[in-house]
Amino acid sequence: MQGVLGVYRELDAACDAIRALRAARVAKITAYTPTPRHEFEDALGHATSPVRRFTLIGGLLGATFGYWIAIWCSAYWPLVVGGKAMKSWVPYTIFGFEVMVLIGGLSTVFGMFALSRVPRLVTTVGYDPRFAQGHYGVWAEGAPEQMRTIEETMRRFGAVEVRGER
Amino acid sequence: MTAGSYPPDGVPLRPNVASADIQLPAVRDYEQVDREIAGTLSPTLGWFGALGVAILLFLWGAGTWIYQIYWGLGNAGYTPPVMWGVYIITFVFWVGIGHAGTLISAILYLFRAGFRTTIYRCAEAMTVFAVMTAGLFPIIHIGRPWKFFWLIPYPNWRLLWPQFKSPLVWDVFAILTYLTISSTFLYIGLIPDIATLRDRETNPVRRQLLAILSFGWRNSDTEWRHFTRAYLFLAAFSTPLVLSVHSVVSFDFAMALTPGWHATIFPPYFVAGAIFSGIGMVFTIIIPIRRFFRLQHYVTLNHLDAAAKLCLFTSMVVGCAYLVEFWVAWYSGNAVEQHYFWNRVFGQWWWAAWIMLICNMVLPLSLFSQKLRRNTIWLFVLSIFINLGMWFERFVIVVPSLSHEFEPWQWGSYTPSWVDLSLLAGSFGWFFMWFLLFIKQLPVVAISEVKEIVPPKFRHARGAHGRAH
Repeated sequence: MQGVLGVYRELDAACDAIRALRAARVAKITAYTPTPRHEFEDALGHATSPVRRFTLIGGLLGATFGYWIAIWCSAYWPLVVGGKAMKSWVPYTIFGFEVMVLIGGLSTVFGMFALSRVPRLVTTVGYDPRFAQGHYGVWAEGAPEQMRTIEETMRRFGAVEVRGER
Repeated sequence: MTAGSYPPDGVPLRPNVASADIQLPAVRDYEQVDREIAGTLSPTLGWFGALGVAILLFLWGAGTWIYQIYWGLGNAGYTPPVMWGVYIITFVFWVGIGHAGTLISAILYLFRAGFRTTIYRCAEAMTVFAVMTAGLFPIIHIGRPWKFFWLIPYPNWRLLWPQFKSPLVWDVFAILTYLTISSTFLYIGLIPDIATLRDRETNPVRRQLLAILSFGWRNSDTEWRHFTRAYLFLAAFSTPLVLSVHSVVSFDFAMALTPGWHATIFPPYFVAGAIFSGIGMVFTIIIPIRRFFRLQHYVTLNHLDAAAKLCLFTSMVVGCAYLVEFWVAWYSGNAVEQHYFWNRVFGQWWWAAWIMLICNMVLPLSLFSQKLRRNTIWLFVLSIFINLGMWFERFVIVVPSLSHEFEPWQWGSYTPSWVDLSLLAGSFGWFFMWFLLFIKQLPVVAISEVKEIVPPKFRHARGAHGRAH
């Protein structure tokens, strides 16, 4: 995909450039920042991350499995101690809880990776190592006729470097 | 070689004058954060020396374990009726140490406590290595470590399943979940920092390795958006997990009909003790690190002061639990329980009980003094006493109860053998070996989170909160 990468020293400059690009109806904009900043979320106008759905589904599956493994094993291989109930929900809540946390936590991480498209094998296109350090970046993809407008917009807001990549 | 000179060039030395707006006054920009924290990764002679000592201790412990496996568990100093000793004590001790990491990284994250930012990475790594250490001791204790997997429920040809009403099986689930979630939490937080190291690295081989470890992280808005939510949910999951794991460990004792053990106070008592001991170990680790890595302007006296207040609070909770135990024994009217507690403090085990009470209840009261809360030498010395006191707390829980049960003919004594003590020393070697390896491979202070509290550069002048003037 063809695009333009702008490198910024200042946070507000990068955010202003993003707002201007959105106003110019640029289709795909990616911001790079060394640390999460709410200013970028506001400028890009993204919805809340759906990672929570993975957490909920994983947690429910984990809790179900935790209770089920304890109940099923006790029924399959009865170990009666002190005349206590074979399927005892109080101690089995420990398994329900622990496996809920385990599967819920791991599915949260899976959700984060899947939604972020991580692991990523190629980091070179539309990326600059400075974005992990002190600079902010804006990568904009668009039709070939938009490239000139994108470059001019990025320069107007004080980009220290603007380069086209594909 | 350590990080850049301290204080940084051109910056007035006022690292401990902070406000709600500026937490790290001596840290100017993101580049300084990268340079100074990445600078801590170069190995030094002192680090090699410390690692050598840790490896020697570990090898001594490992050799002793092989000796014990060959000659049998009889070498461990167990004498009927005391068939739980140093191994179970050390297991509970290390699990406890592992609790402060998740408390600091997850619970304080949810509470938005600013002082956690620069110390949580150390605490998280400490948690993972402490739980790795703790997990070895039940395996050592069973004497035939190759049969450990019998505790795990899996389909097998014997058609055998574990007893799900046994606290030992609860332990397996709790500890494995805790180890997995703590390791995941640590690694997820490390990914952006590994990406930073990758982008600074000039050696192509190391750069490739760091690229793999960072999963190709690019600091894009999409990655951060999902990362921050996932981190929040992991913190929310880890918080009750911290409380549950040591509660489950306390059930190993509380479920038994043994004087001093069969008490409903045990879960909160164990959790408070675990957090207290973990904060003690955080001080033991972080104070030398900030000194030798020259990170005084990251881990400031304000941060240590706040952590010391948490230490004082948990010490008082633990002290309250000690006193409630005595009160319950007296109020119960149960002669066996009363006699047991008398024996614990004024009888056979007085010396262990008083080490526990002085180290955990009395000495931490010094933290009411702000001067001492900001004195790193005192905090370090106190942390050693807390570690000692918390190990003896577990000694006092395990040994006096088993040596002084209901009938006088059941009474006995216990002396750890050289095998026990070697494995205890080996556990410290194992723990510090991993920790020392960690601090020279990966950043001990979270680079991306520190950057969050360093004011970014703006084109137009802003106030302290980033609002345009």
